[in-house]
Amino acid sequence: MTTKPPSSLRLTTVDTEDTVRIEVHGDLDYDNADHLLLAVTDKLAEHPRLGDLHLHCAGLELVDSMGLSILLMIHRRTSAAGVRLHLDDRPARLDRLLSLTGTLEHFTAPLTEGAEGSPGSSAEPPQTGGETTPAGPRDRTAPP
Amino acid sequence: MRHAPYPVFVADGQGTLLLRSDAAGALLPGARPGAVFTDVVPAWLSAAHDALTEPGRRAGRAVHTPVSGAISERSFEAHSSVQDDNSVVWWLIDDTDHQLVRDALQMERERTEFLAKTSNLLLSSLNLERCMDVTAQLAAEYLADAALVIAPARGQRLPVVSCLRGDSPVRSQESADPDDVPGLDEALRGFPPVPSRWIDPGVAPDWMVPADFGPVGSIVITPLPGHGVAAGALVLLRRSGTAAFTEGEEVFARLFATRAGAAMSAARLYAEQAAITEVLMRELLPPSLHQISGVDFSGGYRPSEDHERIGGDFYDVHPAAVEGEASLVALGDVCGKGLEAAVLTGKIRNTLHALLPMADDHQRMISLLNTALVNSHHTRFATLVLASAIREGSGVNLRLTSAGHPPPLIVRTSGEVEEAATSGTLVGAIPETRARTAAVTLAPGDSCVLYTDGITEAKGGPLGGTEFGEERLQRVLAQCAGMPSEGIVEHVQMLASQWVGKGRHDDMAVVVISAPRTQHLSAVNGRTRGRYTS
Amino acid sequence: MTTRTPYRPSAGEAVEDLAAELWKAVSAADERAATDAVLRALDDGLAPESVLIDVIASVQGRVGEEWAANRLTVAEEHAATAINERAVAALSVHPAARTNPDRGRITVACVDGEWHALPARLLAEVLKLRGWHVDYLGAQVPSPHLITHLHRTDTDVVALSGSIATRLPAAHAAITACQAVGVPVLAGGAAFGPDGEYARLLGADAWAPDARAAADRLARAPLPRPQHDHQPIDDLPHLGDQEYSMVSRSSTSLVRTVLTALEDAFPAMRAYSDQQRERTAEDLAHIVEFLATALYLGDADLFTRFITWTARILTARGVPAHSLPPALDILARELKDFPRAARTLEHGIDALAPDHRNTAGKTV
Repeated sequence: MTTKPPSSLRLTTVDTEDTVRIEVHGDLDYDNADHLLLAVTDKLAEHPRLGDLHLHCAGLELVDSMGLSILLMIHRRTSAAGVRLHLDDRPARLDRLLSLTGTLEHFTAPLTEGAEGSPGSSAEPPQTGGETTPAGPRDRTAPP
Repeated sequence: MRHAPYPVFVADGQGTLLLRSDAAGALLPGARPGAVFTDVVPAWLSAAHDALTEPGRRAGRAVHTPVSGAISERSFEAHSSVQDDNSVVWWLIDDTDHQLVRDALQMERERTEFLAKTSNLLLSSLNLERCMDVTAQLAAEYLADAALVIAPARGQRLPVVSCLRGDSPVRSQESADPDDVPGLDEALRGFPPVPSRWIDPGVAPDWMVPADFGPVGSIVITPLPGHGVAAGALVLLRRSGTAAFTEGEEVFARLFATRAGAAMSAARLYAEQAAITEVLMRELLPPSLHQISGVDFSGGYRPSEDHERIGGDFYDVHPAAVEGEASLVALGDVCGKGLEAAVLTGKIRNTLHALLPMADDHQRMISLLNTALVNSHHTRFATLVLASAIREGSGVNLRLTSAGHPPPLIVRTSGEVEEAATSGTLVGAIPETRARTAAVTLAPGDSCVLYTDGITEAKGGPLGGTEFGEERLQRVLAQCAGMPSEGIVEHVQMLASQWVGKGRHDDMAVVVISAPRTQHLSAVNGRTRGRYTS
Repeated sequence: MTTRTPYRPSAGEAVEDLAAELWKAVSAADERAATDAVLRALDDGLAPESVLIDVIASVQGRVGEEWAANRLTVAEEHAATAINERAVAALSVHPAARTNPDRGRITVACVDGEWHALPARLLAEVLKLRGWHVDYLGAQVPSPHLITHLHRTDTDVVALSGSIATRLPAAHAAITACQAVGVPVLAGGAAFGPDGEYARLLGADAWAPDARAAADRLARAPLPRPQHDHQPIDDLPHLGDQEYSMVSRSSTSLVRTVLTALEDAFPAMRAYSDQQRERTAEDLAHIVEFLATALYLGDADLFTRFITWTARILTARGVPAHSLPPALDILARELKDFPRAARTLEHGIDALAPDHRNTAGKTV
């Protein structure tokens, strides 16, 4: 794995069959917020029967307006796919940003629209693993 | 001696020619032995002879520095040796060819230097007028007695810069038809390529000859080749007294024209681009604010990048359409930065402008703005504050609504700073909005400060890496109590900018709405009311 | 920000009366009274140029003095300046100030990072009165903006204003950039030294001590186009030792080091509130900035003048200046490998304790 400067974005994903958990470390800002969106989009495509997507936010440092925009886009995509988005372990700073912008409720409200994600069969073996992927657009380690 | 391969003369100290070689006879047939040397040789040689034989000079064999000069269109170097009897032997060596080569080398050096100077001067400016001036001046200095640079016509007029050698360039606009001057129209078109063209000085129009130039000997018109665009034409004039242009000079003039044409076409392209940018940017630049209906408004904006003038923050003040209604202020911040963000601010500002008829209903305005902005492709949002301000007696009534934006700060003359009790949802990303409006009254001297988070999130300070923060902003504003609105804007901008120092920062915008301090103070003693020394 | 006010016997009394009236209005933050007084004086026939230079500039000079003597806060200084600016704005639209531009075109701008715009604004107005076509770009103009403006307009001269010495490196960048596009620069303002020595050092084409002198200089003869064989480093060959770059780049870490060392030396400082600590850090940052500027210019006197002035200002504000010499000592220790910096600090320390050091110095 290539190392990145500490402030840039690092994502660690832990997948199970119906849950994806992404630990977000570093800055979610103008320069690299896109990478999180790409990672989430890939996960949604990989797991058509996904029920919950957890973004673990404790390691988040700076979130600028572009970062918030990306979170809103992720929320829009997960809602459309019938996936519940959870922003877990939010630092106080993120909470302040979400309340200032009036978006806290939006992120925490129960799923309403497009929630027909059917819990189908579990033909695929559960994938697990704690890979730390650098936040480059396409250089995440693909599962076999 | 007679058969020496070089012209040789021997003359005595009294200046009588004693001997000459055959070659010397062929060169100067009048120089026979017995003649007075200084009468029969050119002045440069006789002067040298006199200098060598003047009385009082120590006689004796010595070798002296050679002298040179022309004899019947050839160039000679004369070497002397003084004999014991004070007679002088002069050896003349024809160095005409050598001299030609030296002159050519010298000229090449001067031309190279001139072209280098041309490139330096022309490349340094992207201003078309300046490039035309420089071209005319350089051409007049080196290539001709006078030079004109003619740019392709703008409308009916030809922009012309003319320059006499040693003078400053003079600009004019000539209403002339390029077709009337042979070769000018083709040269100005730039395509197809045409060679330089001589024209008969007699057919040159008056405007082509600078005043006080005198009779024109020769005129040559050279195209200034642009890069895909026509750059113009260079006209060189020489007086009738001076030599006409040689072929070499004409070739050289074309080399010069190539450089000048490249610089002028680059300058023209730059000017065109800059004009387009200017027109587009005019709509995106923040307006300058002033007092409207008894309420003071001031604003200041600093984009994140020093080379840009626009960015993702915006503000506007719309005076009421009807006297007696409130003016509307909008200040906001769209996500992203630079031109892309600025374009979105333009959309928001236009939409708000269209929604002005419902300016008394902030919630509705925000909700409609949100609808206009929500887009299935992206979640680029904006946060903003709306403020309606109306003078009421000596105070100002405000209604303030935040749509996901830091709430405005109210600065009282007492030095108290309050946060307006308003909050709401950002616009442009989620379908529903809600917002709470706060009503505030400003007494004379009170101010309401709207700002973007570029101010509070500015990182820096004397120890580095510290955020400017809301607390510090409030402390700073407490010291601004009673200040005129533009003073507050400037003070906040200055402190935030100094806080960041050389570091990177986001766009920063501040708008201050103030109730003017109307009453004259009854007792003025040089002390300000409301002093807050720390 | 001192501004000279030459005595004008012709309208002397009217000028003095107006200056007194304007000072009252400005110090009472009474904008209306300020603009009324100015407009009335113009109606009465006082020359607009005299109002700008002999009245407004002189009142602004007094604002600076009052601030230095701690009779005005920075915010009050800003308020006074804002009112003066409004007075200038009112003057500029008065019929007496109407002129037709029949001279060349001039760009008036403040150095990047320079917030004191009033001297430049006054110059712009004076030049307009003298018939120039003026483009006034205002406070803190980044060099890219200035150069873009020069490419787009056909400017004959740039008048560059600076009042703070620490902005001189930025001024140098602006001067050389203007000259590189073929436009000469007239420099002015307190930053360039009382006799304009820094304007010369940084290669400005001309210098003027005040707006009137600047306008006179430009009226006398056009400034020649700058020569192209000029390299900025030629002005300041000492920059080759990199001391300036090093000190200015590491300024925040120097401030942190000195602050910590001061806290060790003066345990009382540990009881400082965050705000007090930050203010001390700001003072230290200012010292480092002036040191860097002195290194840039190769002029230790600049630093000495600053440090003795700071001591005076601190004393005027009731802050004991005794922490200055130890701070300089610590800085000198940190920068001992940089001979010019160390020497400059040494001069500063000497200047702060003249009696003590001078006698000690003699015996060495």
